[in-house]
Amino acid sequence: MTKYAVVGGVLLVLAWGWASVFSWFDPSALCRVHIDVELLEGDRASVKEAISVVRREDPVAYRDLCRWVDRIQEERECMAGDPQADPRFRGADPALRRARDAAGCYIRGSRVIVLRRARDGENPATLLRERAEAITRSAGYARAFWTGTSR
Amino acid sequence: MTRARWWALAGIVVVAVLATRYLVWLDPGNRCVITIRPSLVGYDNRIVKLALETLRHGSPEDYRQVCVHVGTINPNPACGGFGGGCFWHGDGQKGRATIDVSTEHGLIWTAAIVVHETCHARQFHEGRPPGFDLEHECYNEDDRIMRALVQFE
Repeated sequence: MTKYAVVGGVLLVLAWGWASVFSWFDPSALCRVHIDVELLEGDRASVKEAISVVRREDPVAYRDLCRWVDRIQEERECMAGDPQADPRFRGADPALRRARDAAGCYIRGSRVIVLRRARDGENPATLLRERAEAITRSAGYARAFWTGTSR
Repeated sequence: MTRARWWALAGIVVVAVLATRYLVWLDPGNRCVITIRPSLVGYDNRIVKLALETLRHGSPEDYRQVCVHVGTINPNPACGGFGGGCFWHGDGQKGRATIDVSTEHGLIWTAAIVVHETCHARQFHEGRPPGFDLEHECYNEDDRIMRALVQFE
């Protein structure tokens, strides 16, 4: 019996460690959001810091995040169009540039939020604030998509 | 049956279930079965499945087109390189086609390549144009799906 308890305890610690390292893991809120980052350039800690800001400042958005988002991916940028597409089709729409500069975006039909990677020389405090706002906004988009309602 | 045989049978079942889960996109509700080739890094198959899942919910008509025209997805870097995709046409592709899809640039780019290569597969099955390489039509398709799915403001 003791042997099984020890094995169970070790497995629990391993699972907890795994979840904590690769995800935002908040058992008290039954919340786990996996965080994908680039192996060499990525920064999982700063994503977790931004989620922590959302949890502290906007409980409703945090609840949306936990309920409707299961993965945050850090990418070079949010791509909202293909620059190779026919310019006559795309016209002079500045949306592509705005998306590229956005701190984050939601991909409709998924439970995934994309956050833009930090750029050279970017102020960490500003980026943290922008990411927290992007997560708040995107969690709302995810809820709106999956429930068909907006708040 | 001996206990050893039971274990062997259980092992075979587990391997078969894991292989199916890893190598096949199965959506009986929409009668959609797509084979996904083994990838050099296991991560890539997950992104392809995530892209198909995103299209299924985010753009059902595009998803239907994928199910109709594509039978196999190769997630390994191939003729499209690390950032693009490819569509193979030939006698072996007269049924549902095989497409190469790079997963290098994340979920939305992967979904966009799936839609782009599906557009070529549709051109092939419709017999137009010669060479099935009406690129601007397919670039417009992937541009359209990215605009439709990415929400940032």
